[in-house]
Amino acid sequence: MSLPPALRASVTPPELELIACQELVEIIPLIAMEKTAFISGAYGPLRPPHKARIPIWMAVNLKQKKKCHILAPEWLTVEYLQDKILQETTQDEFTKLPFRFAEISRVLLDAASDDLQNPDKLRSLLKDLREARQAKARAGLQSLEHSTLGLSNLSAMEINEIRPFFIEAMAVLGQLRP
Amino acid sequence: MSGVDSWEAEFHRSKTNANAASGPSAPRRAPSALLEREDQPMPDFLPEEPLPDETPLEQLTRHWMNERHAPDILPAQDVLLSSLLDHIRRQSDTIQLLRGDPSTSEEEHIRIMLAQTEVERVKFIVRSYVRTRLYKIETYARYIIANEEVQTRITTAERDYASRHAHLIDRHFYSSVLQSLPESQAGLDDIPNFIMPPMVTEPDTTRAVFAHARKGTIARTPEGKTVDLAKGSLTLLSFSAVSDLVSSGDVQLV
Repeated sequence: MSLPPALRASVTPPELELIACQELVEIIPLIAMEKTAFISGAYGPLRPPHKARIPIWMAVNLKQKKKCHILAPEWLTVEYLQDKILQETTQDEFTKLPFRFAEISRVLLDAASDDLQNPDKLRSLLKDLREARQAKARAGLQSLEHSTLGLSNLSAMEINEIRPFFIEAMAVLGQLRP
Repeated sequence: MSGVDSWEAEFHRSKTNANAASGPSAPRRAPSALLEREDQPMPDFLPEEPLPDETPLEQLTRHWMNERHAPDILPAQDVLLSSLLDHIRRQSDTIQLLRGDPSTSEEEHIRIMLAQTEVERVKFIVRSYVRTRLYKIETYARYIIANEEVQTRITTAERDYASRHAHLIDRHFYSSVLQSLPESQAGLDDIPNFIMPPMVTEPDTTRAVFAHARKGTIARTPEGKTVDLAKGSLTLLSFSAVSDLVSSGDVQLV
């Protein structure tokens, strides 16, 4: 078949990861490279020890070959996440986070945990954050009606998680409507 | 070294290409801009807010995701797609050239490996995008060949594919079952009566989608309600309310 059944209802987390890895991240290169034209744009030049901004997939690739250090984005720090969790648990709305924070943090924690400060703490904070937000998304179901629902600040991975259920619920509500 | 020279040339070409590729999307935005002026009584609502700049690859990624989430088939992006395919081809040629060059240094090898990785990434997106459209064309083949409006959204090749697919399915149904049935029951496109679903599969445009507003705009739900979509906001609503905004690029599906 042209599209496997598993891909018809929604996109898959690996696909979201692929998209997220196109975003830029700062690195400290350990090798030199001239400015190079890639399909997504020109990156470089890499001149150690000067910082450079390249896509995450490229940074992870270089990191696996021990050719660079990845610098954590400013939101992937213990202080920032603790702050966000506090906001998340005290406010009704979702706090603003990078749209693809779940994918990016996962990729960086997997590939470059030695470049991050306190990766274990980061992992547990991200999990807490995820749980707090998940609970909120479920509570949001109560306000679901047949036509519209505002869900601003929800991230890509969270949307993907609630998508099947929310879409189905909305369809059923639409059918029940007089 | 000849390989590096061609890489430099590629860099300049990609810069001019990026400009050229943004060209075709401009006229498509125009109709929505007209509509917007009618719809918005408040002049202080930033009438001409430019959409964020995108590279051709970002555009394709957006269209890919739109296509994956939309229940109906969206306008074909053949200009964008062919310019990206050309770019992939040129990039692969450059890589081949550099590979064959025995004097490439180790540093050069990393560059080649990264470029090769990217080519594969872009190919994946292109393939998934085309396959998503093919899936919709196969599912809605009969609906597409009977509907002029849908045909304007697909390329000639896709239209041929739809009609060939529909004819094959028809022939198959006829030779396996329909020819043995009474003539009155052998049709494949009977008008549905009130308990039966329609025989021709149609996209369910009332299905809910997650719409992310790329600029401030207004959507109209099928019931005639207007929904304010502030820039950057995320709303769950029926696809039919945002289908025009998705085509114009004001809204993207996530």
